Formats: sequence, C-alpha cells, structure tokens
Amino acid sequence: MEAIVTAGLTKRYGHAARPIHLPGHGSAGEIRALEELSIEVHEGEIFGFLGPNGAGKSTTIRLLLGFLHPSGGSGSVFGLDIVRDSVEIRRRTGYLPGGIALYDTLTGERLLDYLANLTGRPPSRRDELCDRLELSAATLRRLVRDYSRGMRQKIGIVQALQHDPELAILDEPTEGLDPLMQRAFYGILDDLKSAGRTIFFSSHVLSEVERVCDRVAIIRRGRLVALEDVEALLDRRKRNVEMRVMGPAPVLEGVPGVSNVAVADGRVTCQLEGDVGPFLAAIRDSHVVDLTIEPAHLEEAFLELYQDEAEVAG
Amino acid sequence: MNLALFIHTWRSQRIKILIVFVALTVWGALLPIVYGTFGQTFKDIIESGLIPEQMTQFGGGDIFTLSGSIALGAIHPISLVLNSIFAVGFSTAAIAGERQRGTLEVLLARPISRRMTYITLLAATLSFVGVAILATTLGAIVGSAIGGVLDELAVDKLPLVWLNGFLLFGAIAAIGLAASASFDRLSPALGITVGVVVVMYFLEVLGTFWPDARGLQPYSLFHYFQPKVILEGALSATDLALPAIVALAAIAWALFEFPRRDLAAPS
Repeated sequence: MEAIVTAGLTKRYGHAARPIHLPGHGSAGEIRALEELSIEVHEGEIFGFLGPNGAGKSTTIRLLLGFLHPSGGSGSVFGLDIVRDSVEIRRRTGYLPGGIALYDTLTGERLLDYLANLTGRPPSRRDELCDRLELSAATLRRLVRDYSRGMRQKIGIVQALQHDPELAILDEPTEGLDPLMQRAFYGILDDLKSAGRTIFFSSHVLSEVERVCDRVAIIRRGRLVALEDVEALLDRRKRNVEMRVMGPAPVLEGVPGVSNVAVADGRVTCQLEGDVGPFLAAIRDSHVVDLTIEPAHLEEAFLELYQDEAEVAG
Repeated sequence: MNLALFIHTWRSQRIKILIVFVALTVWGALLPIVYGTFGQTFKDIIESGLIPEQMTQFGGGDIFTLSGSIALGAIHPISLVLNSIFAVGFSTAAIAGERQRGTLEVLLARPISRRMTYITLLAATLSFVGVAILATTLGAIVGSAIGGVLDELAVDKLPLVWLNGFLLFGAIAAIGLAASASFDRLSPALGITVGVVVVMYFLEVLGTFWPDARGLQPYSLFHYFQPKVILEGALSATDLALPAIVALAAIAWALFEFPRRDLAAPS
C-alpha cells in the first residue's frame, strides 16, 4: 500500500494586483508554487524530498497536512483525501516543521505533554527518543526559552515522533544537530523503518539523504525532475576515474560507459558510468600501478539536474 | 471544543487573569465608595448650577446615584483598558500572534480542525471576558458595602448587568478573534480591532458631551451598554440583542474564513 499518493497536485498563488515577472512564474500576478506533482511514497520506506529553497518542498508538505488547499490535482495519505480527511491524516502523522517554533514559556516536559494531549495518543516513544537524543529529565524541566537551537530541534523531533506515528514528515530534521546527534537521529530513523513506519524526509543535506533514504524525489521550480531509488540514481552517475600506468595506456575510447578519456605522462583520466565490467576488461592487459574510482554522490546527480537552471541564472 | 487547548490557554493566561480580576474588582468598588462618601456633596454642587448638565454625565453614568456610579465605573476608560486586555489583546493574538510566532504550525499539525481550534479559542476568550466583567460586578457589590449603600443596590439586576457587559466585550472579542483568524500577522488584526473600539467609544462619548452628535451613538456598541438603565429596572432588549448579533456575525465570518485560508510557511 502507498502511504502518500499525489496526482497532478498543483498549488498556485494569485496576486492579481501585484504583477510578478520572475523565472518559473506563470502569467503576471500568479506564482506557481507546485505544478502537477505526481509521486507515490511506499509504506515503510524513507523517502527523500530534495530541492533548493523555494522549489516547492514546504508547499508539498503543507498541502499534505491541510495547511494549504490545492489549486489542482489530488493527494491522499493512507488512502485519506488531503482536503476532506485532513484531521484524520494528522492523527496518523508526526510533523517536524523546518525551523520549528515552540512555546517558550513552557518547560520541555510540559510542552511535550501538551502536544501529546492534543494528539490524543499516548507518547509511547518519548522516553526512548529522549534517551537517544540525550534529553535528560533535568533538561526537560527547564523552560524552552533557555534551550539552545540544537535542543529545540531535539524537542521538535521528539514531539513529532513521541506518539509513534505511522507517517513522519520531517522538514530539515538535522538542522542544528551536532554530528553525534545526527548519528543518533539516523539510528532512530533506521528503527522506525524497521518498525514499518514511513518517513517523508525533506532536506538540503544531500549526504544525509543519500545515507538514509530509499528513494528520492527532486523538485525544481515546483516541478518534479527526478524520482527514483537512490541506488539507481547513483548507479547512473558518472564516476571520475584516475589511474597511473607503466607502459602504453589502455585504449578506452569506445568502451561502453567510458567517456572523456585523457592521457598525459602515464596518467589516464576518464569518466565511468554504469557497469564497470567493460572498463576493467579494457585495462586488464595494462600495467596499472594506481587506480582511483571516486564513488558517485547524490550531490553530483542533484547538481546535474540543476545545471540548466544555473546556466540560466549565470 | 478541544479540552487540552482550552486548559493550555487558561494556564498560559492565569497570572494575567488574576491581575485583571483584582484590578477590575478594585476599580469596580471605587466609584460606589466615592458615591457613598461624596455623592450628596456632588449632588449639591450640580444643583447649584455651577457645572453644565452635559458635564455631569459620562457614557450614561454619573456620580449622583449608585446605579450611575456603577455605570460610570463600567464605561470609564480605565475599565475599557482593563477589559480590553482580553477582549482585544488576547483575542487578536490568539491566532495571528501564534501564526506570527510560528507556534500555530505546531498546533495545527495535531488532529484538530481549524474550526475546532477557533471554537476553543473563542470559548477561552469569552471565558476571560466573562471573568473580567464578573470582577467589575463583584467590585460594585464590595464598593456598595464599603460605602454603606448596599441597600440601594438592586442586587437581583446584577446578573443582567453582567450579561450586558459580557455581550459588549464579547462582541469586541469576537471581532478581535475574527480579525486574528483573517491575518498572518498580529499588527493588522490588532490595528483593525483597536480602531473599531476607539471609533465606537469616541462616538458614544462624543454623543454624551455634544447633543448634536447623539445621532451617531446608535452606531456604537457602547451605546447598548446600559448598566444604569438595567439597575433602574428598564432594560431594553436591543441592548442585549444588538451586541449578540454583532458577535454572531463576527463568529460566522471567522468560521467561514479561517478553515478556507491558505496557511503558507511562516516567513
């Protein structure tokens, strides 16, 4: 079953009295925040949602949670319509907003109690989450206004997950967390996934999306530009290859998956895409003294998808 | 109504409620004490003709009768300011203030509809207003007792005085909350509500000092706040109905507008 389905989900903002002429915007006075987004998020997966500021990530999340009303298309969460069944969707969802604002005059403990009461479900995971994120009882007794940014983010994570929701929508969840806490958070995500929970993970941090997500969607100017397995996306990436050889350089031109070959002073560089078998076969008879194949990173895929935008901006 | 939100709202305002309650009780007691102590003296001065008649009344209140002194205390700017702490200050901040701070995001991510959120905040606001008006009414009893004029007080009419005050400030609170539900930032909601209250108050006070401006008074909600008339046993149904109609119109607007609004990410 799908946890989230959107079909042509669209959000436009009208500003009839204020003409706007910006790239990616439609007719004067209309902002296309999201254009015909169609995605499916499977139950039990960690789904990464990538895009720069203003790409439409938050708009999508807010449409899913009923903060915004669609201008077109449809969406459902666990089969529930995002417009008609918004309350029921939120009953089954935990949400961490980006840059979360909290009630400063409450203690951490009272805040979590209050939000749990509003949710109407027992905070069954709170103790475990606080323990893993190193939120001690003494810390929870302090007023939220005295918390550091990292501690606020930890409270934000706990409030989103303490009632063990079936779906967690997390917007920039590691913002403000130190590397140790980031690691602890990834462990929490792994456990949630093992327990069959679905995580919708919006982030700018490509390395963490690559690390934790099963699939990733990339949006640009409100439009979906890529949606596939992280592994598949990486497999299609061109990896930079550098080797030093003694004697004649191997003939790499025409080898499937190899491109941009350059040879100079016994140093051979090229780019490799897909299966490495043909490449390895081509260099088998050469005397290779050193070989480096850089691993593909999501960042390169992301940058490539955004390349034309950068060119336009440039 | 969402009980968790209601309790949280009350808990967050409890110190303010206590301060306003004490202040309004003291203020409500003050003018009956002044009447009990100096009422006859003031009456003699007025009857001497030294002061024009228009200057002896303010917003339907005076200092020459107990009912007049209670009415004067209730319509006085000090009372207006104290009652506006909840009727204007809290109501306008209840939604727009939370939206501006970003905390509405956390609240509305829970399984609670916007209508339910609004209704709960309306109930909390009206309960604060009710407590504040109760303090003024209680002060009138205490002040009458201290001033030795309790026997002049129509105690059986006090619930109607409370209801009249509650409907006036309840209507103002409903306007404030409707404005709060309509804007993303506190300043426009607060500005509109304060503007409405100031203009209405000005129209009512102007009419009491300047007979030619009396025709403007019916356009003010304060014109339908008549504690003196009620204490003297001559209640007009309009004084209760009109503020109630205004309140219901504001509530209907908020119930229509708030669920339909797009709540974009806080900037």
